[in-house]
Amino acid sequence: MNNIAVGAQAQPQRVRIRLKRLTLFDVVVLFFATLAGLITIYPMWYVIIMSLSDPIYASGSKVTLWPIGFYLGSYSVVLREMQFWISMRNSVLYVLIGTVLMLVTTMMVAYPLTRPNLKGRKACVVFLLIPMYFSGGMIPSFIIITQLGLYNTPWATILPASYGIWNIILCKTFLQAIPHELAEAAYIDGASNYQALSRIYLPLAKPVLAVISIYTVVGVWNSWFGAKLYQTNANIQPVQLYLQKLLIEQSLNINKMIEQNMTEDMIRALNMRAISARQLKYSMIVVVTLPILLVYPMFQKHFVKGVMLGSLKG
Amino acid sequence: MVKRRELSRNARDNIDYYLLMAVPFVLIFIFSYLPLFGVVIAFQNYTPGKPFIGASTVWVGMKHFITFIKSYYFTRILRNTVVLNFMGLLMGFWVPVVFALVVNEIPKRRYKNFIQTVSYMPNFISTVVVAGMVLTFIANDGIITRLINAFGFNVKSLNATASVFPWVYTLTNIWKSFGWSSILYLSTITSIDPELYESADIDGASRLGKIAHITFPMMLPLVMIQLIFAVGNMLGSNTEMVLLLYNSAVYSTADVIGTYVYRDSLLGVKYSYGTASGLLLSVMSFVLVFGANAISRKTTNFSLW
Repeated sequence: MNNIAVGAQAQPQRVRIRLKRLTLFDVVVLFFATLAGLITIYPMWYVIIMSLSDPIYASGSKVTLWPIGFYLGSYSVVLREMQFWISMRNSVLYVLIGTVLMLVTTMMVAYPLTRPNLKGRKACVVFLLIPMYFSGGMIPSFIIITQLGLYNTPWATILPASYGIWNIILCKTFLQAIPHELAEAAYIDGASNYQALSRIYLPLAKPVLAVISIYTVVGVWNSWFGAKLYQTNANIQPVQLYLQKLLIEQSLNINKMIEQNMTEDMIRALNMRAISARQLKYSMIVVVTLPILLVYPMFQKHFVKGVMLGSLKG
Repeated sequence: MVKRRELSRNARDNIDYYLLMAVPFVLIFIFSYLPLFGVVIAFQNYTPGKPFIGASTVWVGMKHFITFIKSYYFTRILRNTVVLNFMGLLMGFWVPVVFALVVNEIPKRRYKNFIQTVSYMPNFISTVVVAGMVLTFIANDGIITRLINAFGFNVKSLNATASVFPWVYTLTNIWKSFGWSSILYLSTITSIDPELYESADIDGASRLGKIAHITFPMMLPLVMIQLIFAVGNMLGSNTEMVLLLYNSAVYSTADVIGTYVYRDSLLGVKYSYGTASGLLLSVMSFVLVFGANAISRKTTNFSLW
């Protein structure tokens, strides 16, 4: 009782102080910052509330700020869709394999390039730099993938993205800051080059490898164009290509998908009406995007660090 | 004796190093260098399934380049690329700069962090999803169409109107990237020596005055560099975004080199012609980037290479 009374007394005073400190300038700044925030967040928010609203309202134009009604049926349709799960599984596998390969290839090149006694370092660096500025383009790459027999295999998207020259240079710059004495000490203790790499440099490179891996995870998860070019078999396509077919190309029959995945109970509950194609699209977007948006604030520091590291090199 | 041992140690080390680098280098060779050699098919009548250079290769010189330049696609693609980039520059370039200045002035630290976190979010949403959202918003029953019409207009089929496409494309790009692009500017602001602000305080400077006379001038070199590179990239294009947002009704304002090569030459199996047209644009773009870089080196002492 006493506590509450004290709290109630203290409250108005604090508010007054806060308000006093806000100048007109602050108000203008807060206004524009909030406006920018709203413009950014509202489209995403709109997708979420539309996916959650009652199908009657979701197909109309009433939903603006909050979900009207509450209905998870469109999510259950998405989650019942077999092809969706197949593409999700593929994407998860591509992300896992792609990230591991990226880290391994990055370390395998970055470490030797920092060794003082490496012969032909300059040639190696030139070999890495040329593809950064020149690429053969879409068609020659397509021909190579086809002639290697990778067309319509999972490797057609995994292998070309299994290395990143920018990442190698980033990692090399990072490793160069580690004093050579550390490796020398290990050699005196009888360590081989591989042991020095795995026991000393790998643990020390964790920060830069963390940056590289989260960039790779997001990059692979969001990629679709390679699959569009090289993977026509729906059973190996990643989820972003599935979304592209559903949202953009509209080559998937959404109404059939809804029809097949709605249970008797759902149809009865909705008075014999179906979920709209639009609501299903919104639910699909949420299911695919939410994991990344929820996880990203935790890694924000690393992402920002990545931008800094990259800009320092330039 | 010591010298010989050192030598063998050196040689052994180098074998280890080369073994480590071998696999990644093979991958780079296959997936980055072989396509680079593949560019030679721009000067041939390439038959799919054949090696890039072989006994049956038919060399045709610049034929495909000339065909492309003479076709009306060439000017259309050039015009679209420049228009899209120019609109992006005009409408989008200053947004992250101003946003960084505004964010930096937010009085509450936690709110500042929140706004930053929110503004970075669209960068992590895939291009497919962003384009998918935009397309449902500008559909006839979409929220953007309804919003515009609420102001007394009567617009419809925005996604199929050629004159609207550059706006859709530009605004989508700005929405997706302004927050993320502001990171560099914000980091420049945080690296400004606080003593500058302190002495300005002593002189009785207003906050607007401090922005105009300290913060912005300190950001200016970076702004100039970014501007020069944006101009240098005038012939570059975001193929994926265009490919996702466009449709056959808006080819006249949307088609860029990547979408043209994909649609006309890859799907249409005109490999040599497509490679030639892609190569021509790359070379033109490279010259522009190179020129911008040279100007940058002279004027701002900053260059990519």
